[in-house]
Amino acid sequence: MPAEMRLFVDKHVRYIQSLDTREDELEYWLTEHLRLSGLYWGLTALHLLRHPHALPRQEILEFVISCLHENGGFGAAPGHDAHMLYTVSAVQILATLDAFDELEERLPGVRQKIGHYMANLQDPQTGTFLGDEWGEHDTRFLYGALNALSLMGFLHLVNVDKAVDYIQSCANFDGGYGTGPGAESHSGQVFTCVGALTIAGRLDLVNQEKLGAWLSERQLKNGGLNGRPEKKEDVCYSWWVMSSLAMLKKLHWIDGEKLTAFILKCQDPELGGLADRPGDMVDVFHTVFGIAGLSLLQYPGLAEVDPV
Amino acid sequence: MAPKFYHDDPVWADIDPLPQDDGGLHPLAAINYTDEYSEAMGYLRAVMANNEFSKRILELTEHVISLNPAHYTVWLYRAKTLFEINAPLRDEIEWLNPTALKHLKNYQIWHHRQTVIEALGSPDGEADFIDSMLEHDSKNYHVWSYRQWLVKRFDLFEGKGELEWTEQMVEQDLRNNSAWNHRWFLVIGGRDGRALDEETFKREMDFAKRLVRKAPQNQSSWNYLRGLARHANSTSALKDFALEFADLSRPDEIHSSHALDLLADILATEEDQKEEARQALDLLATRYDPIRAYYWNYRKGLLEQPGAVA
Repeated sequence: MPAEMRLFVDKHVRYIQSLDTREDELEYWLTEHLRLSGLYWGLTALHLLRHPHALPRQEILEFVISCLHENGGFGAAPGHDAHMLYTVSAVQILATLDAFDELEERLPGVRQKIGHYMANLQDPQTGTFLGDEWGEHDTRFLYGALNALSLMGFLHLVNVDKAVDYIQSCANFDGGYGTGPGAESHSGQVFTCVGALTIAGRLDLVNQEKLGAWLSERQLKNGGLNGRPEKKEDVCYSWWVMSSLAMLKKLHWIDGEKLTAFILKCQDPELGGLADRPGDMVDVFHTVFGIAGLSLLQYPGLAEVDPV
Repeated sequence: MAPKFYHDDPVWADIDPLPQDDGGLHPLAAINYTDEYSEAMGYLRAVMANNEFSKRILELTEHVISLNPAHYTVWLYRAKTLFEINAPLRDEIEWLNPTALKHLKNYQIWHHRQTVIEALGSPDGEADFIDSMLEHDSKNYHVWSYRQWLVKRFDLFEGKGELEWTEQMVEQDLRNNSAWNHRWFLVIGGRDGRALDEETFKREMDFAKRLVRKAPQNQSSWNYLRGLARHANSTSALKDFALEFADLSRPDEIHSSHALDLLADILATEEDQKEEARQALDLLATRYDPIRAYYWNYRKGLLEQPGAVA
């Protein structure tokens, strides 16, 4: 195998470890608003690379707790308002670290509180979920809520049927899904909708042939995947598109070899990390979704990822 | 622009800035700011703790937003301040216009705009603003979602030039899938399942066909055309149109893989046309869309199943 066609596991591990030592860089504080999600992405990438202990567990846990609010929600970083997205990231980190019991011991009643924080963000009229008390809504929040609540065993706190109805109202004429009813089909939103329906056990509602065809059409001649028709390829869609195809059991509808080669070309062979496309700047977001894509493609040596 | 500081500004002399509480000292969590941002945030935390709503809050939040527009807390506090002090909302829109142009991919800004326009109760001026946004990125998801919200909120479906504007956008870039989606929203998607009348259906079919002919290898226009036909249960009526671009008797002169795909679909439903359908799918798998060979071969497999329709 030519050298550039290999995954540089050690370099990626070191890249992720270095992320939190870059406090003197401008970019670091500019990304503060998604710090908790960044931590989740880094941690997940390390698990997939089979280096789950490369970040210090106790420090992660302390940081997560420092983002917790009285109302049971988490902010992106200490001092930021609670928001659905970061609450989901926090729950995902806690699940990854298997730390729910530890958390409950330190803060009795906190699990219920977190569960209720998310459940209360369901809009009783439409069934979808708001991002925060201010009312932005997006199918990302709906998926996030169902994902996190199911990880905590709290799905019964919400009206799953109503949420399912809402997702159905987001289905588009081309077979895809958008952020809300009528919004353009987008691979990321397809993932959130198919993921939510998988959690709800209602994949039967999806026009699987049509959606599978739309998803496979995302592959371009260079092997990469795009997010919408007639747009450019980007490594992160290796995850959004592929995980959706995996849930529909149609992973084999795309050319896995060509996609693998495309993802590997997006690596920074010197300093580690993956970029959106070859030659661009790397970041933790594209790193985790590129590696997760490779895991779905059964790249040797990676841990297996759950598409949901 | 020179950094702005507050500690020597008499307007802010009554405020003791609140330091960042990062929950103790963790190397992993320690957040290092530039001095300017750090100080502005200190003043913001202090006024938020006092629940202060005043004109100077608008200046402070504007400053913090200019440094970090993705900080959602700041936007929410700004909106609250606007309403508490009855600030002139047109001025807010005037300020938002250039700010949105600077931060094309920011979510918060759209949510904020929607809140302000809702309170104003009028879409005046929004179309021009959207045009200036789309000049920078004609497929910006936030902009198109916002446009849909405007259409629905102010009932711009008919007689307000929306259809004409969409046509213009599609003509400008036939591959702008967002513009095609907006068209669908106007004609069918946004109308809560209202049936499509015959005249509109014909107009839209002609529209889509005309633009397919301009660029036969365009996913967006084909998706729209096929969506319409399916909506009216008349996919098979598109057979002659598909043959314009994909005549199986001339396999070297196929002008559109999408036409081949549609043709294969139609042939599969017809009596005694399975062999032709297979031929179309073979052409796709081997010559006209080989990267999806696995998918096309799967479709071929479906032809073997009695009664199966792709």
